Amino acid sequence: MNKPIVEFTNFGYQYKSQNIPTLQDINLTVYEGEKVLILGPSGSGKSTLANCLNGLNPFSYEGKLTGSLKIAGMETKDASIFAISKNVGTVLQDSDAQFVGLSVGEDIAFSLENSNMPRKEMLPKVLRASKVVGMEDFLMHVPYELSGGQKQKVSLAGVIHDDVKILIFDEPLAALDPKTGMYAVDLIDKIQQENHKTVFIIEHRLEDVLYRHVDRIVLMNEGRIVFQGTPDELLSSDLLMQYGIREPLYIMALKYAGCNLKGNTKLDDVYSMDIEPYREKLLTQQAKKFQKVSLNIKEEILNISHVSYGYDENLVLEDISFSVHKGEKVAVVGKNGAGKSTIAKLISGIIRPKEGTISIHGENYLKFSIKEIGEKIGYVMQNPNQMLVKDIIKDEVELALILRGKSRQEIDEAVKNALTMCGLYSMRNWPVSAVSYGQKKRITIASMLVLQPDIIILDEPTAGQDYRHYTEIMNFLDELNETYGITIMFITHDMHLAIEYTDRAIVFAEGKLVADDAVYKVLSDNTVIEKANLKQTSLYALANKLNIQPEDYIEQFIAYERMMKEHE
Amino acid sequence: MLINLVPGETFLHRLTGTTKVRFFLILLVFIIMSFDIRLLLPLFVLGIVGLISLKPKWNVLKYIFWIAILMNLLNITLFWFVNPGCGSEWCGGGSTVLFRINHYFFFSAETMWFLSIRFLKMMTSLLISMVFVLAITPSEMAAGLYSVKVPYKVCTIFSMAFRYIPDIARDFQSIKTSMQIRGVELDPKKASVIVRLKHNVMILIPLIITSFDRVGNIANAMDLRGYGKEKKRSYYSEREEGTIDKVAKVFYCFMLLFCIGWIVYHHIVPQTVKMWYPFQ
Repeated sequence: MNKPIVEFTNFGYQYKSQNIPTLQDINLTVYEGEKVLILGPSGSGKSTLANCLNGLNPFSYEGKLTGSLKIAGMETKDASIFAISKNVGTVLQDSDAQFVGLSVGEDIAFSLENSNMPRKEMLPKVLRASKVVGMEDFLMHVPYELSGGQKQKVSLAGVIHDDVKILIFDEPLAALDPKTGMYAVDLIDKIQQENHKTVFIIEHRLEDVLYRHVDRIVLMNEGRIVFQGTPDELLSSDLLMQYGIREPLYIMALKYAGCNLKGNTKLDDVYSMDIEPYREKLLTQQAKKFQKVSLNIKEEILNISHVSYGYDENLVLEDISFSVHKGEKVAVVGKNGAGKSTIAKLISGIIRPKEGTISIHGENYLKFSIKEIGEKIGYVMQNPNQMLVKDIIKDEVELALILRGKSRQEIDEAVKNALTMCGLYSMRNWPVSAVSYGQKKRITIASMLVLQPDIIILDEPTAGQDYRHYTEIMNFLDELNETYGITIMFITHDMHLAIEYTDRAIVFAEGKLVADDAVYKVLSDNTVIEKANLKQTSLYALANKLNIQPEDYIEQFIAYERMMKEHE
Repeated sequence: MLINLVPGETFLHRLTGTTKVRFFLILLVFIIMSFDIRLLLPLFVLGIVGLISLKPKWNVLKYIFWIAILMNLLNITLFWFVNPGCGSEWCGGGSTVLFRINHYFFFSAETMWFLSIRFLKMMTSLLISMVFVLAITPSEMAAGLYSVKVPYKVCTIFSMAFRYIPDIARDFQSIKTSMQIRGVELDPKKASVIVRLKHNVMILIPLIITSFDRVGNIANAMDLRGYGKEKKRSYYSEREEGTIDKVAKVFYCFMLLFCIGWIVYHHIVPQTVKMWYPFQ
């Protein structure tokens, strides 16, 4: 047995600004070379736990520490953050903010500079670290030229000097597209294996982390550890649903088919698991007849015809054509930089096409100003904090109408409607700063709805949300769509979202439209998946094992899920 | 953009940050201390040579130079306007009138000389500053300032500002567009100055909030990598001193001594003329 490297004993932590401890009764021993996934909904204390490990608590966020936490035999209570950082390297969630250097090399060297290491010794170390993550050809590159995945690699390279024993990854997948996320998980695995590191991953995207083997999962809720054990034990239990963590799709499929997973010790990998015991049940499920999801095409609202955008040689978008119909739910998917955001900006009139036409209700939109287009198409940005400018919810929502010089009576009525639709009417006089992130999101949506647009475009509506908040936002949008017939376009790289909540997916890759079809068809088309940096869902693998056409299998899965949702 | 983040390949680019910063500081003293064409003209020529050697993007520089030339011309014209005889006291008291417009406005050789030197001095300092800005990266600047005993936390502010200003500018852009969709009018043709000002202030609120979030994250990232651990710091971007740096060092040390000598001499020995004027 390996030596214990992290030992929490009756550990607790209470922030100075909080009345109750954020962490309580933590007892956890992690051994050298282990790979631990810390799972839990937002506010469960998983980030606090990570910050206690790397010393940010109490160094940056003051608070009271009870019990004991030993890292490599050193009691952290008496240690400085600098002493801890000799053993613990942390890769933070926001890969942009933690890139402090003006070039890749400089950022990797940052901790060495801080130790006042002569440059001669620094250079080989930087080169070595950059080779570990595969960024050695980019040392002279500036941060603005790098993708999110590359920035994350640089962050990782910056913390593996001095042979730190422990690596912490705080939501490493949050900003990455599915395939880049896969590479990140793979890289973490490789580094852990080759350098014998102890790794902590904080994530709520369980299925993506399980792409590579994990030794242990620690499930947290309300500041306590509610489960620790192998992935198989967790997957076969009902704990995930109970604590609001999304189950992997294949596990959901197995459970939908009524399979008993208890005692199965090879559940964590869909490719190697044995599905023979479940084959019969899965096939019976597949044979059931559900109402298929049908595309009910109504009148066309938006038409995009042969649109290109960009500068002479560098076209960001090339010859894009598609149309959107009333009441549709469309997912716009593709890797970062494929042109998803550009098409959203084009549609909302922030930028105008170089070639081609965009028409709204049959009228060429070039004659409208941004302001006028805003009355037909609402654009909700990813980060609500970038959109909120007023103190009180009601003021925020009515802003767009006031700027358009509407009468008081008109404004009051429209605001009441929008707030009611978003379930915010009773909170209308609350300060914006007092509400949760999800509610802020609703406010931004309400501030668009107040103009009664035909289409709402949402940029990554669920980014950084745990499953509970995610479901809350998405169900709310579903309701807007069903009850009020509002057309919704999601820009996303979350395939779960596309499967669960949309009917149609428009896929972009390298500035071109590569697919425009029903979600289940897109997700079963290997060439499209490859081109767009998407990831095959685990349903695809499961279907192959059952010798069922993946397309049919995914379609059946979606139909069953929709049915379940309606019965709720 | 004018500022390089990655060092270029020319001779001046290859100097270390320390050399660049020290040389620049001494040259500034050199320019400020005198109104002497014998000192300014060679430096002016060297500045032009230096600028060309950096192979800059002329289309951006062009505007800066035109604006600087116009502003300085305006400046010396105003000098002349206020006192057409202002050159006399600088050039030993004589007044050789070359051309008289009326009893107040006239051109004298002394004033022309004084104003041309003034113009030359302004342009030389602009040239040298341009060469400095184009030759240095913000990281080298931080290292260079550190070499002249500026505390490294102050130096960090320099490099950090260059790192995050583009990010903040991007945030500003996206906030602006989201506000425009909601109906904020920033088009000068459609909204008055007051309205636009009010709307711009409105954009600042979310910008400040998002920037504060970012600052928190940056601080954490720096703490976790041991920023502030030691009293001293080294710089990755600061290359080892090369032969050209050693040669440069001899030069700037010599210049420093010359500057000190010049200033001391002009303070101890009473000067009859404030400015070297060969035609007295």
